[in-house]
Amino acid sequence: MLQHGPLLERLLAGDFICQISDEDAFRHLGNEQTQQDINHYLRPLNRRLVSNDDGSVFYLGYHELTKEAREHLSSQFALTVQSLLPLLEWLQLVQETLGRDSALTAGDTIKLQEFVLRTEDNQSLRQRLNALASDRFFNSQSEQLDSQVKLIFRRLKEHGYLLQPHSERQYYIVTGKIDHLLDVIRFIRDEEQLPVDDTPSQEALL
Amino acid sequence: MAPLDSQLTSNLFSIGAERLALLGKHHKALMQGYLDGQVDETAFSEGALKKLIAARILWRPDEQQPLALRPLVSELIASMVADENRRQINADVAEKLEQIRNRVQAYRDAQYKGDYSVAELQLQRLTEHVHDLSGQFEEAIDSLWHRLNSDFGFVSSLDDKIRENERAQKQLRRLLDGLDLLDFNELIELSEGNNHLRKLLVSQLQNQLSSHHSSLLEVQKRLVQLLAKFRQQQARSMLIANMAAFLRQHPKYQPADYPNRSELPSLFNQAAAIRPQAAIALDKASERAVLAELVRALPRPGSIELPEQHSASFAELLADEEITARQQALKTDVENFYLRVIDQGGKLSALDYLAQQQLSWDSEIWLYQILAEYQALPLEEKQMFAIRREEAPASSVNQLLLIRDIQLTLRAA
Repeated sequence: MLQHGPLLERLLAGDFICQISDEDAFRHLGNEQTQQDINHYLRPLNRRLVSNDDGSVFYLGYHELTKEAREHLSSQFALTVQSLLPLLEWLQLVQETLGRDSALTAGDTIKLQEFVLRTEDNQSLRQRLNALASDRFFNSQSEQLDSQVKLIFRRLKEHGYLLQPHSERQYYIVTGKIDHLLDVIRFIRDEEQLPVDDTPSQEALL
Repeated sequence: MAPLDSQLTSNLFSIGAERLALLGKHHKALMQGYLDGQVDETAFSEGALKKLIAARILWRPDEQQPLALRPLVSELIASMVADENRRQINADVAEKLEQIRNRVQAYRDAQYKGDYSVAELQLQRLTEHVHDLSGQFEEAIDSLWHRLNSDFGFVSSLDDKIRENERAQKQLRRLLDGLDLLDFNELIELSEGNNHLRKLLVSQLQNQLSSHHSSLLEVQKRLVQLLAKFRQQQARSMLIANMAAFLRQHPKYQPADYPNRSELPSLFNQAAAIRPQAAIALDKASERAVLAELVRALPRPGSIELPEQHSASFAELLADEEITARQQALKTDVENFYLRVIDQGGKLSALDYLAQQQLSWDSEIWLYQILAEYQALPLEEKQMFAIRREEAPASSVNQLLLIRDIQLTLRAA
């Protein structure tokens, strides 16, 4: 277990481990024996490893759902629900602004400057960004495009959706936590049978 | 027959060379025609147009249509520049196979007749057909790989990419079907008893086609994977767009309370963060040296700075107060001296008074203060007093007069 010290610390701190955020650790977590060892170690802390369905991201959940655990999960779920729309709007905005033909996925790189430049000259993108920045999830007080964008990206970095490889260079990589977000959305949609399609209709295919 | 043949050949050669030169001569206008889908007739002279049409390079698909490149020429260009939008894949194997069969027959007939030059010619044609067949697959595979490796980047939208991928998969299936048409038993039979034929039709063609076959299967695998990826991307984009639209339409939407379900979905089981803290341990003697080293390595403050500024001003204030108090006392004593003079009504010596009252003032300061007080008096009051200085030279050689004492007298009004 000794060699997994830094990984355990990251997991305990609430980090999501994916191929992008920590390639080595992610590879170790793919090993069933390591998973068992980690779960065994975490048992007294009432924690266990959890991964999403396709195993692209790992994080810690509660082993036993005590009253305190449920309370924490409830408040966290409320935050997640609150963050859904701003995150989805951000995903759409990035896709449209950068002229990408598909949604962001783990491993995609976003250059902050390019994003700012393209938003600057487009009134409608500018307005949407403005509305997004003032959403309480991002909570920007600024009127300046540059600082709004920086704040949005910083907040997403804090939430683990983005990785900034060099702190002084303004480019970001999308992490596997975005997969988790989409899994959550898909789950809610399926569970509540929301009228939200993700397969093109037959006419669209033809 | 031979002279006729050679004449035909030389005729073909000159026409072919001339027409190929036409392509080169008008390369820019023709390439522009390829890109635009039609040629600009004003870019050519009338004679040139006639030649190009006669050479079957340009044609008019319809009376009303402008001149355009013949499909075969377009195809040639598409293949040369690997333009995947226009490149065509020829999956027709049956026709080629038929030609190969015929050529083999013609070759055998010529050999049977002992007409070796014809046999030679037929063998050469046969070789060309075999190479054509192999080249046809090679070209198709190259085109497929090219499209795969560029992620179908030659079309812009995801929907187009999915359509292109599906088209490529259909082409691929036709190519594989074509390969299935090739029956090596038949080829072995065809080449029986002839080394040349065996080498050409069996070892060479078989080798090439089996490598084409495995390439095609690899391409097929990759195409299917890529299509799955495209579909997944498409599903993601749609999910994001539609869910965002739904949430915008229903701002008060609240999903069920999943965290409090008896069966908690693992997606929502995210434990609270624990941040391990650590402090210096002093109980391990063995680590003391290390700790000491760490402490020594701490950056030391330059010097301990006492709030000197503050205490200094405090002392100054104190001194000021003391001096003011002493000055006030001196002033009061001097005033008492004047009052005594007034009370007495006579002449009074300042130094005598000082001694008499046992005041602690320095005589010089005392005298100075009396003079200063006198000068400070208003004019009328000054006239009430007669002031007389007892002066003496500083020394026998110095004529500077020093005040020894002061006699103050109240003048009669």
